Amino acid sequence: MNQGSAPRAAAVSPAAAPPRRARPLGGAVAYLLILPAFLLAALIVLWPLATITNISLHDVNRFGQLRGYSGLANFADLWRDPDFIATLWRTAVWTIGVVGGTLILSIPVALVLNRDFYGRGLARIIIMLPWSVSVTMTAVVWRWALNGESGLLNSALRAVGVLDHNVVWLASAATAFPVQIGIGILVSIPFTVTVFLAGLSSVPEDIYEAAALEGASGWQQFRSLTLPMLRPFITLAVVLNVIYVFNSFPIIWVLTQGGPANSTDILVTYLYKLAFRFGQMGQAAGVSIIMFAILLAFTLLYVRLVSRTETPT
Amino acid sequence: MNTKLRRTLVAWALMGPITVVILFPFAVMLVTALKPADEVLQPHWWPRSPQWSNFVAMWDATNFGPALFNSLVVSGFSTLIAVAVSIPAAYALARMPFRGKGAFRQFLLISQMLSPIVLVLGLFQLVVSLGLLDTRLSIVLVYAAFAIAFATWLLQSYFATIPRDLEEAAWVEGASRAKAVRTVFLPLALPAVAVTCIFTFVQAWNEFVLALTLLRSTESYTLPIQIFSLVAGRYTIEWHYVMAAALVATIPVAIVFAAMQRHLVRGLAAGAVK
Repeated sequence: MNQGSAPRAAAVSPAAAPPRRARPLGGAVAYLLILPAFLLAALIVLWPLATITNISLHDVNRFGQLRGYSGLANFADLWRDPDFIATLWRTAVWTIGVVGGTLILSIPVALVLNRDFYGRGLARIIIMLPWSVSVTMTAVVWRWALNGESGLLNSALRAVGVLDHNVVWLASAATAFPVQIGIGILVSIPFTVTVFLAGLSSVPEDIYEAAALEGASGWQQFRSLTLPMLRPFITLAVVLNVIYVFNSFPIIWVLTQGGPANSTDILVTYLYKLAFRFGQMGQAAGVSIIMFAILLAFTLLYVRLVSRTETPT
Repeated sequence: MNTKLRRTLVAWALMGPITVVILFPFAVMLVTALKPADEVLQPHWWPRSPQWSNFVAMWDATNFGPALFNSLVVSGFSTLIAVAVSIPAAYALARMPFRGKGAFRQFLLISQMLSPIVLVLGLFQLVVSLGLLDTRLSIVLVYAAFAIAFATWLLQSYFATIPRDLEEAAWVEGASRAKAVRTVFLPLALPAVAVTCIFTFVQAWNEFVLALTLLRSTESYTLPIQIFSLVAGRYTIEWHYVMAAALVATIPVAIVFAAMQRHLVRGLAAGAVK
């Protein structure tokens, strides 16, 4: 939108306003203004990216010293590693599970919170609460709550009659991984609801009154009015959440460190183990590059989606 | 009136289950933090005699003070740096035509997409080669750099909503561009700057994996790492102290969030539709 307005202003200004210092300097000043941000981000993002690309193509010892060009050998090793392939699939389940679950819960929550009812302020604060706790702390608290012998989750579930014996939640992937996805959903809800509330606040009230006069049911209003208006916000929430969840480390690391026997690893925890536990620097760099490729593909898909939906309007 | 009452019942009935799940970990924190040492491992809910003194004992037992100080310093300085370099960049993006604007936007998008963990190996080597391993400065710089993309994006979409005419009017009255920015533009942009600061600060406050990798000694640990270190790889975990520490670390941020919640929604509403 502002890209459209910039040329217009440029075309008008030489005729209308005196073209004093602001115009001719515009270009140079703009570069000066973006320079600090660019330099800092480039140092911290581009330089490590180059290092990692270089490492991934070399034979490396466990201290990160390059020993010779090895082509794609690191990637071939990963491809033959059954743990890596399983981790790749598990990451897909993790990302789709957490983002999907977050979306399914956040839309109704935002719709409810957008309407006027007694105690809405309190309800909003409760929904936002997990946001204010670092994910690491949340994971530490859950690790304690999930303790098989002394954990309060077991005793709470037994008290309400859901369980009749203690479950050792974190001892096997079959229970640990779903619980981790659940916690992932829980910590993603506040941000997502905030985005949707922002979207709903931009929907004018009177179109609902008009629709109600026309006899549209609540579901019809949701389908034909709310959902289309929310669409850009849903896209935004999905994209930011996918990037965030795909890269999310603390929940799995604090609860199980990817164990038992790598059965709850996702790419980030596997990468961390390869690099800092097993000293497999070359393969770790390979995992980084593969993650980069996946994220890049996803981002390009998003850019294409956005530009396609924006063209008709 | 009557319909509002009905709406209230429906709303709370719908929100009930999720409210319980959200509040559950907070209840666990509080209950465990209040248990005397010999009751911690017994899974009953109510401590027989609540030990408020746990909160005092926790301070030394968990090395809380230094970690809190480190977290404040690291989050504060990284926010300051990130916002200081993002405001000019966002202003240029929102107000000035220049060649390479599209490329700069794409660069920001890529640095937003690359999380620290993907680059952790390269960042580790960068920090080692700068001689900054195990210093707070290392994570201040890295946090600031990774916050730039989001901060610039949020700021520039808000800046674009501030009418250009106000500044132009100031130019006509003879103010320089810099003066117009300072006296007309920045005061109007203040809400967006505040929201950006909060997001950046909280991001740094909560960061885990870089701190875990780049900080090696207890003296430089931030809160998340300090608390994690009390739990990871230990035979005896003093859960009542850990939970007390987690609770104390959480409450200030929770209060800020509760107070700022409306502004966060409004800030994102302005930022999201660019």
